[in-house]
Amino acid sequence: MKKVIISSVAVALLLLTGCSDSPSPSDSSINQSKNASLVENVSDDSVSVIDDSVNIIAENDNVIADSSEMNMASLEKKMSSIHFAFDEYSIDSQMQSKISQSAKILNSVANRFIIKLEGNCDEWGSDEYNFALGLKRADAVKKALIAEGVKTNRITMVSYGESNPTCSDKSQDCWAKNRRVDFKLLP
Amino acid sequence: MKILISILMTITFIFASDATIEVIKKIDSLPSIAVEDGSTHKDETLKMKFFKSLVADLNVISLFNVDRRKFNNDFDTNEVDVENKNINYVLKYNLSENNGPGFSVEMKIIKNNEVILRKNYKISNHKKYMFVAHTIAYEVNNFMGGPSIEWIKRKVIFSRVVAPLKSEIVIADYTLSYQHVVVKGGFNLFPKWSSQKQNGFYYTSLNETKPTLKHVDTRSAKITSLISSEGMMTCSDVNANGTKLLLTMAPKGQPDIYLYDVKTKKVKRVTKYKGIDVSGQFMGNDRIVFVSNRLGYPNIFSKGLYTNDIEQMVYYGKSNASCTANGEYIVYKARESSNAFSRNTFNLHIISTKTDFIRRLTASGVNEFPRFSNDGDAVIFIKNYKNQSSIGIIRLNHNKNYLFPLKYGKVQAMDW
Repeated sequence: MKKVIISSVAVALLLLTGCSDSPSPSDSSINQSKNASLVENVSDDSVSVIDDSVNIIAENDNVIADSSEMNMASLEKKMSSIHFAFDEYSIDSQMQSKISQSAKILNSVANRFIIKLEGNCDEWGSDEYNFALGLKRADAVKKALIAEGVKTNRITMVSYGESNPTCSDKSQDCWAKNRRVDFKLLP
Repeated sequence: MKILISILMTITFIFASDATIEVIKKIDSLPSIAVEDGSTHKDETLKMKFFKSLVADLNVISLFNVDRRKFNNDFDTNEVDVENKNINYVLKYNLSENNGPGFSVEMKIIKNNEVILRKNYKISNHKKYMFVAHTIAYEVNNFMGGPSIEWIKRKVIFSRVVAPLKSEIVIADYTLSYQHVVVKGGFNLFPKWSSQKQNGFYYTSLNETKPTLKHVDTRSAKITSLISSEGMMTCSDVNANGTKLLLTMAPKGQPDIYLYDVKTKKVKRVTKYKGIDVSGQFMGNDRIVFVSNRLGYPNIFSKGLYTNDIEQMVYYGKSNASCTANGEYIVYKARESSNAFSRNTFNLHIISTKTDFIRRLTASGVNEFPRFSNDGDAVIFIKNYKNQSSIGIIRLNHNKNYLFPLKYGKVQAMDW
């Protein structure tokens, strides 16, 4: 396990070293001839957004961090995704019972974690409405959790629209699986 | 009576117009143009790419019957190739090397052995050759008195999903021949140009604790975080002078439209419905159009920016989830199958806000995210059909559609 952690740190450090990107020179420094018009004056700057999900694990904390992540991961697996009907964000009775089960976990063994509700949609549309639909689904689950005693300030929400599918088949079964809210835990 | 009916029918047939003949006649009446290449540049690949781009652009401006054959002819002479003696216009050009990087282009148009237009161009990056072709087509269009086609020179910015929760933001020309990835790493969506000059853009970053709206200055590569909101944060539209933004935010999980002042950074809530209000688009200085499910399904509404009057704009269809406005016209996306258990078709429609004019613009596939060009001549949109993601352009007054497929990934959102 230590070897794995050390290797991960080494890879992460190598990645970060390679990430920095200095902008390339702007085109505007080229001299313009008298009669020719300069067609393109846009700089070739390449903007790199650093992936914030890269975690650097310090050697001393490796055991504690590793254990906590495994605990969160195993607890997340115990909380089922909540599924929704086509174009809807209301919770039916079957899903309500799943939320109740998840609320029990969140109020007991997972009560020290922050809850992130991720709203998702099927593939029909990438525009804002679909993202809002995913968010309303997450909000419906949030309200249901609060009704089961989960504290409001532990819950955050995000919508990924159609961009986080669990499957990509062109089938009604796959579309139904993607219309969902997932539970994620944060430290 | 029989004689009278016969006479009336005869008169009707004599004077009835045949739409098919009308269309053919119009095509035949367009002047012809041929392109002659007198380039001295040594790069044969560059010369062929430039030629193809120029011919395609001349076709798009829809003012000519374009001869797509390549003729090689000395640029300095005003004599045209013998095969082009009867062509109305001949465009000659010379693509030549610079002393430094890039290349130069001399261009002239010849009619009846006389030069009627002459222009010179220079670009410092040979990879951007297509922008020279676009500029030539734009200036030929202006010279010939065609309607505004400024969009042909503008850059398109789009987000492309490459894997679950991974995306890139790309700046391209309208044909996607030129593509430059400007934001990479993480999950970044909904790019939007921040000004007419296209020297900066906004985008939504989902890599932080909350969705965050960021601004990138393309000249300095500086990134600034502007505002965050739990749940959802997008820049739906920017006003003409870039001073105000329409945002969709959801501070308490409730998606609504907000007006953001770029200078003062003040936010004003515009809609207050408990369901979904998104995709605000400026319609003039004091009104917006937007998408709302306040009737139980997504539809298009308008509202005063500073008043509470709300008006339903579309009375057709049961799911109209995206829109764009220019002057009196609105283009919106309508779902034309309402079945969760089959492939859905989404088509674009255009309506007038002043008359009952309505017209369908697309026929098949999933067509969404329409955006008017600034001059109202064209609409750009996303088309997903049979696992192929493409950017489409519709020239409204010419009834012509063009599709430019992506080589990989799926277009999520875009602007031009």
